[in-house]
Amino acid sequence: MAANLLRIATHEAENQLALSLRQAFLLLESNLRPPFPLTIPTSEEYQVLNCAILYGILTQPHHAKTHIKHLHAVVSDGYAFFVNLLVQVTNELLEKLVDSARNQLLWVTGEMVDVSAVGFDALLVSLLRQVVGGDFTDGNLWLCFEVATLFLSKWDSLLEEEPMVLTSGLYAFLRLLADHCRVSSRNSKLEALVRLEIEFCLKMLREQFHLCLKVGRDVIRLLQDLHHMPEFQAVWRDLVLNPTVFGTSGFLGIAQFYSTRTSSRYFLLRIPPMMETHLRFLLTQVKLGGQKRHQAWFASKYLFSPDRETLICDIVRFICCTHHPTKEIIQSDIIPRWAVIGWLLKFCRKNYVEANAKLALFYNWLFFDERADKLMDIEPAVLLMVCSVPKYVEITNSLLEFLFLLVDNYDMEHKEMITRGVLSSFNCLISKGVIHTFDVLTSSGVIFPLLRERLATFLLGMKAGIAKELRPIGPS
Amino acid sequence: MFCSVPGFPRCMEMLCLKDIAPAAQNNINTQFILLDKGRANLEGGQTKTCLALVADETAAVHFQFWGDECDAFKPGDIIRLSNGIFSYNRNSLVLRAGKKGSIEKVGEFTMAYVETPNMSEIKWVPDPNNSRTYVQEAVISAYSRVFPPVL
Repeated sequence: MAANLLRIATHEAENQLALSLRQAFLLLESNLRPPFPLTIPTSEEYQVLNCAILYGILTQPHHAKTHIKHLHAVVSDGYAFFVNLLVQVTNELLEKLVDSARNQLLWVTGEMVDVSAVGFDALLVSLLRQVVGGDFTDGNLWLCFEVATLFLSKWDSLLEEEPMVLTSGLYAFLRLLADHCRVSSRNSKLEALVRLEIEFCLKMLREQFHLCLKVGRDVIRLLQDLHHMPEFQAVWRDLVLNPTVFGTSGFLGIAQFYSTRTSSRYFLLRIPPMMETHLRFLLTQVKLGGQKRHQAWFASKYLFSPDRETLICDIVRFICCTHHPTKEIIQSDIIPRWAVIGWLLKFCRKNYVEANAKLALFYNWLFFDERADKLMDIEPAVLLMVCSVPKYVEITNSLLEFLFLLVDNYDMEHKEMITRGVLSSFNCLISKGVIHTFDVLTSSGVIFPLLRERLATFLLGMKAGIAKELRPIGPS
Repeated sequence: MFCSVPGFPRCMEMLCLKDIAPAAQNNINTQFILLDKGRANLEGGQTKTCLALVADETAAVHFQFWGDECDAFKPGDIIRLSNGIFSYNRNSLVLRAGKKGSIEKVGEFTMAYVETPNMSEIKWVPDPNNSRTYVQEAVISAYSRVFPPVL
């Protein structure tokens, strides 16, 4: 008799992955107890045995120790196949797993870290992606707590074997912390989670600063959201006034973060796999003009509960920096990225959410360097501004106003760097033909006169060639 | 003509919605996305039913949910129909699972669709060459008159 792995709703088709694990278990059930057969399995038998053992571990918590011993005895591929199964289960099934199986999944993940299984870092990344931002349900907070505990309790192994997975943890927990510390009605569970997240993030920043530096500029964007927390105020002070305290030779200041583009895989950490599938479908299959129903379904699934709007900045970051469409898609009638972002901005109800979403949209403009940055990261913002002029000029006005607000106020200490970045952005967008002229922004009567003038003056700087004299950024 | 459905086992042939015609047979295997759902009614004061708009890449059609199906699906769900029937029910032409067929949710969101033609909004007449089958005579409405397109 095989116990259930999943909670299945009525009229829901059987999941193929769960079915194949269950079938393997039923086939080999009698071999899963000691004495284990001594024969060496063929590669196909080996895979079926891995499936059977995994099903046993997930559904028979009381026999889990026996199953894992069995696995340790037969393993011949550094656990690569087994870990890959765990990644699939995490990506496809985690939401539907019965509670005991979820517990087991976390437990066996810890075991895989302990034996330095091949690919365990990808498994941890999959788990991080399953923790949903702005979701305060018990199940989600439990998962977050368990994953944070895992990152802290296995710290030494992670640092030794796969230090870069710690940077994924940093990105995810800095971002989740911003959501978790904002909720006013915190219960004791949430308090404990927040403490754990702070502990992990501070440990990273204080002890492994050189790793944090590798994540790049978005670390600063996320830290800003935590500026009101005393623990992070101290970090800010040191970043600005006392950079040598981080013990990373060569680190002279925040500009070093600014000048490093954050790799696209970090943005995926805040987009659960199913949401990624849905976003990519929207951006590659749904035609402009026929998107209303898909957009409504997306919003009702991911954005409607009140705390979920904080996801918008993560989605904007994903669309700008991770989902770069092909030329064929750009030239087709598929809904363009800027239109999806314009639609998402309408869901921002709170001011700080809207500001964060706009910052996410413009962030790479501020530090743009043609040699190191990607044009596709900055393309949606300019197209959204230009294409909104005819029918939604209030969007153009508010974005342009926000961009200049950033130039003037985002970081006064680095105003010159930011001005140079924004000028380079405009320059590159024109020279690469994303848009042919800024006339629509500088001479359209519906744009606020002050903004028009400001932009025209600002662009004079570009014409004067300031943007072309790109000086090296960072330590000199 | 059969629709290709990625990931669907080839052993079961899937009909495109544009190729269905009214018949008194439970033999329609197809897959579609649920676009809209009406309010549930009690048919004959007994069983709950619910009219819905479903579609695939080739056509749309009205689908009738029955009993506990009414609450099990939401717009955006991708549904597989096995051994379904497309026939008149109280003067309206609907696709449904019927007593011999079944429906199950196989996914969500990732399916493109069209809302015209709507196979329920077509006037069908018996085929003069074969009185057991129906052929299209006229389009009553390009789009569903019950669930108008969302613009």
